[in-house]
Amino acid sequence: MKFRVELVWKDDDETAASSIYLTADGRVILQGAAVSREERERLALPADGAMISVDRRLIRAIKDML
Amino acid sequence: MFLRNYWYVAASDSEIGRKPFGRLILNEPIVFFRTEDGAPVALEDRCAHRHLPLSMGKLVGDRLQCHYHGLQYDTAGRCVRIPGQDQIPSTAKVKSYPVVERHRWVWIWMGDPALADPAKITDFHWLDDPDWGAKSSYLHVKSNWQLVVDNLLDLTHLAFVHETTIGNAALAEHAVVKVTRAPNNVVVTRWIIDQPAPPTFVKVGGFTSNVDRWQIIDFVPPAFLRLDVGATPTGTGAPEGKRVGGITMRNLNAITPETEKTSHYFWGQAHDFDVKNAELTNKIFEQIQTAFYEDVAVFSAQQRSLDLVADPPQVDINADTGVIQARRILDRLHDEEQAALHASAAE
Repeated sequence: MKFRVELVWKDDDETAASSIYLTADGRVILQGAAVSREERERLALPADGAMISVDRRLIRAIKDML
Repeated sequence: MFLRNYWYVAASDSEIGRKPFGRLILNEPIVFFRTEDGAPVALEDRCAHRHLPLSMGKLVGDRLQCHYHGLQYDTAGRCVRIPGQDQIPSTAKVKSYPVVERHRWVWIWMGDPALADPAKITDFHWLDDPDWGAKSSYLHVKSNWQLVVDNLLDLTHLAFVHETTIGNAALAEHAVVKVTRAPNNVVVTRWIIDQPAPPTFVKVGGFTSNVDRWQIIDFVPPAFLRLDVGATPTGTGAPEGKRVGGITMRNLNAITPETEKTSHYFWGQAHDFDVKNAELTNKIFEQIQTAFYEDVAVFSAQQRSLDLVADPPQVDINADTGVIQARRILDRLHDEEQAALHASAAE
């Protein structure tokens, strides 16, 4: 196990956003749901590259915490 | 930067008695004493006449008499006697401060007295709870108060500053850290799994093999840090909430700014095992005190370094995450307090 940090942002109503991870190798990893091929087609998203969808609280967390 | 509309620890209960006691808090000189009934009182430590510190004076009943010309003040700060003069000017008064005695500490409200609600005092019940063994103390720190807060929110430093007591390398290299930020609170949870116990834990917990160790740091503004720390033999279920066969302690910290470059540091250590064993309480306290002396030396050196260059650039690392979140909360609270002050001044 290496040193790593998980960040969690909580709203006034104690609702937590999904996590942000800072890893020992210098990456910032976000927790979200993978976007499927069907969703990409339906939403007119690019077919290539890894994609995740995140909730809006996570965006607030990124703005406030990073 | 100071936050004013908060309760701060002003003194330990034993520091305040029938002899006036002076202390500078948030750059304000304050004199403390107890009335004949034992209630703590806090007044501006500066006579309205010629500004001698009232802490150089003496108590006459419940009146505080200035050492210089004998003016006497009541517990609300009103001058009630001027030797050789019947008429007392209405301006002959000093500021009085709300104070509350709780958890072996005397707390003071440094802001608007109308907002001084004792229910807002941060909970430190471990210091006087019969289910815990505890001992507390005071350190004078030659640094800004936020350096102490930073220190307690990032315990990676234990591996380097306190390697002979409460630290070891595992803290910096093998920890899983979770930082949870709420609007006015930061909790840093750190687990060190299946690693050797640090020297102090071996001494007081008797560990002979690897442990699962936790550090849960609860930050409450402006400068209260309550640490839940302990260890159990590895693999016995502590991360899942089953704390058996180990030790649990609370490290309790309240930092009160004295000036921008000096601080009052009130701290205590509590344990939930063998709680009536005063010898054990002292042994744990002395181990932690040794570590805290090491911290105080670091704070002073940091402040001296900061004094040489105004606002030097600094590098942040992953372990600073809790520190950064706390600083952002403090900056926001300060901005809000200043905005409210300016708004009320404009009315």
